[in-house]
Amino acid sequence: MSTATTADGKRYRRSPLRQALTSTWGARLTSYVAFAIVWQLLAWYVDRVPGPWETLDFIWREVSGGSHGGVRPGEFWEHFSATLVRFSIGLMIGFVLGTVVGIALGSSAFMRALLSDMLLVFLALPAIIWAFLTTMWFGLGWEAPVYTVILSAAPFVAVNVAQGVRSVSPDLHRMSQAYGVPRNRQIRGLLLPAVTGYLFTGLRFAVIISWNAVLLAEWFGAVDGVGWRARLWYDAARYRGFVGWAIIFIAFIFLLDGLVLSPLQRRAFRWRESAASGDEGLGGFDAEELASIGS
Amino acid sequence: MGWAAFVGLWAFSSSFILDEFTLPGPVKVWRAIWEILKSGAFFNDFGASISKTFIGFGIAALVGVPIGFLMGRTRYWKAFFHDGVVGAGSVPGIVYAIMALVIFGIGFQGPVVAVGLISMPFIALNVAEGLEGVDNDLLRMSTAYGRTERQTLRHILIPSMLPFVFAGVRLSFAIAWKVEALTEVFGSSNGVGFQIRFAFQGFSITRVLAWTLMFIAFLLVIERALAILERRLFRWRTWEQAA
Repeated sequence: MSTATTADGKRYRRSPLRQALTSTWGARLTSYVAFAIVWQLLAWYVDRVPGPWETLDFIWREVSGGSHGGVRPGEFWEHFSATLVRFSIGLMIGFVLGTVVGIALGSSAFMRALLSDMLLVFLALPAIIWAFLTTMWFGLGWEAPVYTVILSAAPFVAVNVAQGVRSVSPDLHRMSQAYGVPRNRQIRGLLLPAVTGYLFTGLRFAVIISWNAVLLAEWFGAVDGVGWRARLWYDAARYRGFVGWAIIFIAFIFLLDGLVLSPLQRRAFRWRESAASGDEGLGGFDAEELASIGS
Repeated sequence: MGWAAFVGLWAFSSSFILDEFTLPGPVKVWRAIWEILKSGAFFNDFGASISKTFIGFGIAALVGVPIGFLMGRTRYWKAFFHDGVVGAGSVPGIVYAIMALVIFGIGFQGPVVAVGLISMPFIALNVAEGLEGVDNDLLRMSTAYGRTERQTLRHILIPSMLPFVFAGVRLSFAIAWKVEALTEVFGSSNGVGFQIRFAFQGFSITRVLAWTLMFIAFLLVIERALAILERRLFRWRTWEQAA
């Protein structure tokens, strides 16, 4: 659309610069520049806020292992891997637990009546409560983060799996029974395709929630890891360290979601026409999904 | 029956699987709740937390509605705000909580700003979605009949926007409430989060559970109430959707 028409019908060419600036990419770029400027201004006016350059410089030194502030080089990867290990173990257990509960919830009305109120409470429990309780139960160490992740992830997986099980068409189920389709083929042909998409949705929610949870639990109840490290800088009143770590964990979850989880979820749902909502949405999320993730 | 099962399982695990210290039973926690209610701390701290949440929502609406309006009406602003709004909505709560503490100290503003930042995206995205759904024929007709911008705004755009603003508030309430408490956990001198932190530091599992239960009960009641209110207020929309 390099030409446009004015009100009186004359055609004119827009300058390429103007075109570039008003394109979608131009607008996005402008918004990032505006964000950086606002951040810099905030840093100038509030002493305690570190500026963007300072923070980037910190991240570079922390990651590359250059010694700064009397800290051993190379500590970054120790902490990052400690957190990743806790996060993955907790997530795996939480995922299995949530799936089992979800299948029970989805397939039996009795279990639904028994467990759904309990699930409501668990969904509403903020991760910080689990972080506090597990810290009081297990003390400082690896247990608090792992259990916090399990307990925060499982309910979200359970809700989604239950929804998936209930989305299996009862007509198809009855038909397959009437025609005597063997059980393992029923599971493979009917149950699994229906549940897979929901399973991935649940996994995605669980990952985002657990990432927040593991950081909180490490902040209060661990002696190493990403959350602990961020707290170290915070306690030392070196706020650029805290902001630097905040950027690192935000970047991590955005990359994980954008490169792995969101494509997986789309793939798992691709057989459903209706799920392919035209506008590819907001980083894959709509407002309702964001809301159900909570914090 | 669900609630009975919940309390039963809780009582069972507290007295047979674990012990009273690790997981205090329902009776003990109920006594702690009763004491908190009697001492008046409940009203003080819930009042403080609720007012912070509401002011935060007010700010979120003041900022979010215009942003959503621009996003819903023009392609340029949609592209401009898109990443920022979605990003702000998916940042982990702990980051907001601590940033608020670093910038504002342990005052009143920290939780308010955290609530504002976390709920603004929901309002903006909902308003944008609502405006994109406005019937373009209606807009063209009102231009054709020479209605002023103001009249269009008053009679078409705002009425179609309101339900979405409300839905944004309802959707984000749970998150806002949790982030508000989290911010108070990190730095505050009153509020539910502050009390939970206080109980944690006093190593009182009973009091942590007592405050948590009240926190959750409040959340569930408000969510239910908002859903009912929404159905009442926007009942006129149902025939429109059905048509």
